[in-house]
Amino acid sequence: MLRYTNAGRVVGGPGERIHYAPMSIVWSETQQSRLGASWVAESSRRPRVRRFELILPESVDDCVRALAQRGPEAKLLAGGTDLLPQLKNGLLKPARVIDLSGVARLRAIEPADGQGLRIGSAVTARTLELDRAVRARYLSLAESGALVGSVQVRNLATLGGNLCNAAPSADMAPPLLALDAEAVITGPKGERRVPIATFFTGVRRTVLAQDELLVELLVPTPGPRSGGNYLRHTPRRELDIAVVGVASQLTLANGVCTKARIALAAVAPVPVRATAAEQALEGQPVTPERIARAADLAVEVARPISDQRGSAEFRRHLVRVLTRRTLTTALARASA
Amino acid sequence: MATVMKTTRDVKGIGLSIPRPDGPEKVTGQVQYVADLSPRGLLHAKLLRSPHAHARILRIDVSRARALPGVRAVLTAADIPELKKKAPTRAHAVLAIDRVVFAGQPVAAVAADEPAIAEEALDLIEVQYEVLPVSADPLEAMKPGAPPVADSGTEADTSEAQAHGSVAGITTEAKPAKAVNISQQARLQRGDVAKGFAESDVVIEKTYRVPMVHQGYLEPHAVLAQWDTAGNLTLWASTQGSFNTRTEVADVLELPENRIKVIPMECGGGFGGKIRALCEPITAILARATGRPVRYVMTRREELEAGMPAPQVIIRLKTGVKRDGTLMALEGEAILESGAFSGAVLAVSGVFLASLYLWPSFDVKGFEVLTHKPSIAAYRAPVAPQTIFAIDSQMEQLAKAIGADPVEFRLRHLQREGDKMANNQPWLSNGGAEVLTRIAEHPLWKKRAEWKASSKNGRLRGTGLSLGGWLGGLQPTGATVRLNPDGTLQVLTGQVDIAGTNIALAQIAATAYGIDIDKVKITTGDTDVAPVTGLSAGSKTVYTVGVAVMQAAQNARTQTLEIAAKELEASVHDLEIDDGKVVVRGVPNKGVTLAQIGKKGNLYMSKVEPVLGTSHPAFSVQAPAFCAQLARIEVDPETGEVTVHDFVVVQDVGKAINPLAIEGQMQGGAVQSLGMALTEALLYDDQGRLTNPSLLDYRKLTSADLPNIETIIVEKPAPHGPFGARGVGEPPIVPAPAAIANAIEDATGVRLTELPLSPERIALTVASAT
Amino acid sequence: MAKLVLNCTVNGEPAEVLVQPWDTLLDALRERMGLTGPKEGCGTGDCGACTVHLDGQPIASCLVLAMQARGHVVLTIEGLGRPGALHPLQEAFVRHGVPQCGFCIPGVLMAAAALLTENPRPTEEEIRYGIAGNLCRCTGYTKMLAAITETAGAAAGRRS
Repeated sequence: MLRYTNAGRVVGGPGERIHYAPMSIVWSETQQSRLGASWVAESSRRPRVRRFELILPESVDDCVRALAQRGPEAKLLAGGTDLLPQLKNGLLKPARVIDLSGVARLRAIEPADGQGLRIGSAVTARTLELDRAVRARYLSLAESGALVGSVQVRNLATLGGNLCNAAPSADMAPPLLALDAEAVITGPKGERRVPIATFFTGVRRTVLAQDELLVELLVPTPGPRSGGNYLRHTPRRELDIAVVGVASQLTLANGVCTKARIALAAVAPVPVRATAAEQALEGQPVTPERIARAADLAVEVARPISDQRGSAEFRRHLVRVLTRRTLTTALARASA
Repeated sequence: MATVMKTTRDVKGIGLSIPRPDGPEKVTGQVQYVADLSPRGLLHAKLLRSPHAHARILRIDVSRARALPGVRAVLTAADIPELKKKAPTRAHAVLAIDRVVFAGQPVAAVAADEPAIAEEALDLIEVQYEVLPVSADPLEAMKPGAPPVADSGTEADTSEAQAHGSVAGITTEAKPAKAVNISQQARLQRGDVAKGFAESDVVIEKTYRVPMVHQGYLEPHAVLAQWDTAGNLTLWASTQGSFNTRTEVADVLELPENRIKVIPMECGGGFGGKIRALCEPITAILARATGRPVRYVMTRREELEAGMPAPQVIIRLKTGVKRDGTLMALEGEAILESGAFSGAVLAVSGVFLASLYLWPSFDVKGFEVLTHKPSIAAYRAPVAPQTIFAIDSQMEQLAKAIGADPVEFRLRHLQREGDKMANNQPWLSNGGAEVLTRIAEHPLWKKRAEWKASSKNGRLRGTGLSLGGWLGGLQPTGATVRLNPDGTLQVLTGQVDIAGTNIALAQIAATAYGIDIDKVKITTGDTDVAPVTGLSAGSKTVYTVGVAVMQAAQNARTQTLEIAAKELEASVHDLEIDDGKVVVRGVPNKGVTLAQIGKKGNLYMSKVEPVLGTSHPAFSVQAPAFCAQLARIEVDPETGEVTVHDFVVVQDVGKAINPLAIEGQMQGGAVQSLGMALTEALLYDDQGRLTNPSLLDYRKLTSADLPNIETIIVEKPAPHGPFGARGVGEPPIVPAPAAIANAIEDATGVRLTELPLSPERIALTVASAT
Repeated sequence: MAKLVLNCTVNGEPAEVLVQPWDTLLDALRERMGLTGPKEGCGTGDCGACTVHLDGQPIASCLVLAMQARGHVVLTIEGLGRPGALHPLQEAFVRHGVPQCGFCIPGVLMAAAALLTENPRPTEEEIRYGIAGNLCRCTGYTKMLAAITETAGAAAGRRS
């Protein structure tokens, strides 16, 4: 009897050839098998729609109204780099798609009253990669944008889409976690703010209600002597998805680390902060030994699965390596 | 029979780096592939595929699908009378009848006005399966009592092996042994291996494993089918062999071949994966059922899940050597996983394992094993990269173990012309030693110690090389060469041009006839108009069709000169063709133009025959072609990431007809080889389902992963090739996996024997070694 | 479900096309406008064969709904150059013997053209990353690099 859950399954002992069990997000419910029993596949328990209605709002209010009308059967479309493959694979079959490309406000990047940066949810990865304001103070976020897919994908993929799709491997999540960002959400009941640290609730799940829209991210200024870095491991240099991603942000004052943030992608159902590792660094000068110790502590936070992208063992190994490397770079940038 | 063409004339064709004439159409997006065709009334086909690797079909209900507006046909096996209960080949298994044997096997087919409607119709088809136990691992499937794959009585399909013209003379037994899933087996033996091992100083035994990989062509399988009112079928196909497609479709549909016309469209990559019929039969049946043109284009997901990949190859290899470098014995077991239908090229493996280097005693067993996975087909030099990965890695380790120079050790034992192959045929003339010697002269090889010593910042540097090749295919073919009334030349073959061979063939025709290349037009005709020809595969297009074109052009030249001889009242032997005119040697003002001759053969009431040169040769002598590759790499031992800094390809092409095109083949094949080495694998779970059915997770190398591929052409003429040319397509895909594995060992000290040499494998192996 | 009217600019001309709501931009270009230069190699943004320019930026047109192009400017390979009036990149690709099967070529050229517009003097690494979103199975990319490098250098030569 084989069941595929979020945890996945590894077949074979250590040192043997590993068969990778699929992550459940790849396999839809109808593709699970039960040996020896007969069962009916593909019956119409849900509406089977490949064709959909398209809504073209021109403002945030339009969006909210559209979502309020038929929220559960509607999907929001920004860059389409996650949604369209899911539509084509039949993993999602919405009756309505709401296109956000006509809502200009969502693409804005502006200073946020001197307290940081306001980044619209439909800002593209490519914009994050190149924007001067983002690169100047939030370099790890620019780096994460630069790594997504390829240039053809980065010109479409959005910050909001990356977060709301909420894959455990979402590249832009760790830098935002490490920068203590806040999500600004709007819905029929008005606007609310949610710290990014609590935005993700599970694999492909966020705090967003079905009638709510992520409007923008507020990213506070890290401070004068702060530096960050985002690294991920991928088998190829482009067109790939993180096996493990790590963002580190270090803020210094008088030679001492006043704030440390370490956030990990693809090693848990949601992006996670390695708080024990952070605490081990705060309040003291940052040394290579302490960085190594923090890297070890970060591994303990990781609860990776084994799948065809990487084994749990390799992911833990990478957490240690990438935490060490991002902390080292963050330190160099903070000290510069 | 082919003849060697020698000429001392200043050739205006051979050896020139001429860009393909269809370049402008390709760079402007004007060249047409099947999916670009949209005839009036077009319907779109989609197939419902089994989610289970092994299951009985209890019931299929298509009623709701049929009722969906815009759906024009929904078919199951029950609607297709020609389907045979025991499908002899994958192509015959058009739709599953009562049992599915691989996940992705088609069980129903839909034709609809729009692709989205067809997709929805698939969702409305209800299938009741009884899931059965799966044979997903070939080592398990080989055992007696494993869940059976083939219908009992299904014959082993050796057409693939024959299509690749591989080594003759090996007895492959088609009857399975006790294990029900062993569909072919073979054994090659010589001498006394037990004695050989007993007398060895060093014995190395390793198991090498290469997973199934996909040929990776960018254009998915595509076909457009349409019937006329007289019951003739036209297929516009993306295919490597229009005549083969015609034959297979005729067989499946039980039609005479001359009722089917296959028009080969531009093929967006084949590499062996578009030889066998796959989508054509079902699309033709849908077109027949609806009376409309039907187009079926596979999605990328379907290609990966239900294409015809290369087999998984597992080779256990035990080799013994004396400390003085004498090879003593080789024992090997090669297991080729063929998927749900037989078709692996078993013989190739044995030949390369046991006779690329000369072993006084060997015992090599080969098994083809069926599993509940999509059946395999050829992939550019089928089974050779996997086999060379094993034997070359092993040779490298043997050399290291006894302190021998890796190149000298290989050269010392490399086969030479006349040596006995594993099947007791003599090795034919080849440039294996030449390419190996040439690559060893490369500065990157000579400076490998400095490269390694320059490792810094925690990265480890290394260099590795490897030698591989392909025996070369053969297939009968034909060509015609016509002189037009304006003096230009027209060449016709049936050969699908998937590798840019048409320009080379035009160059051969121009040179053989005696005319400038820009006066030659070459056409690939469809199966109604062209001479019967073979596959564009097996590295044999220039080698065989080149000879046909050359002979047809020579034939046309002879006819031209004979007509001119009468005109000029001279002897044929005193005539030559120069600058569009037939002249008497030494008397330049006495001549007749080619246009005049061409016109004479076409005028009303003329008594002069039109010039039509023909040739229809068959061949019996292969032309093995060897390729050596060198990789200079840097490894990040903590992440396992490999950076290929430099990569060199040295290849014996016999005679470079078109160096520009040949370089492209060498570079492209090398990058496919590197993909197999570093990143590519079709990963199945233990229920036989593919876990990476997208190009996100089936990783082909991007330009950012690669350096410039340096190419060095070596020419050791093939005695029977046109102007000495050998085939060039397959050799370059063979050596890279071994070269990279050797380089990784040089850099890190670890020896990996399983592909791909992924960052995970490297990092974890390095970590556990330290 | 009713079709929608897409108004946009395609290859320099205003275009008004009837599209299905679920049509991708690639579908609309190929099936509704007869521009079959952009190809579908994967449908999921992982191969680059569908690359066109949207407002001058290279994008994967298989991931964009046709209606998302409303009011925007689209350039396909057909708009880059024509036989007899080839774009310098196209001309260089022909001369260097780049196209083999040709399926990836329209996408590569669109990516390369966008790269050179944004970065007229790219390094080899920048070129490699600029076309890294375009998979090619036939060529191994080396001749593409040579053709793009030469075109950039020639343009630089003309500018100086």
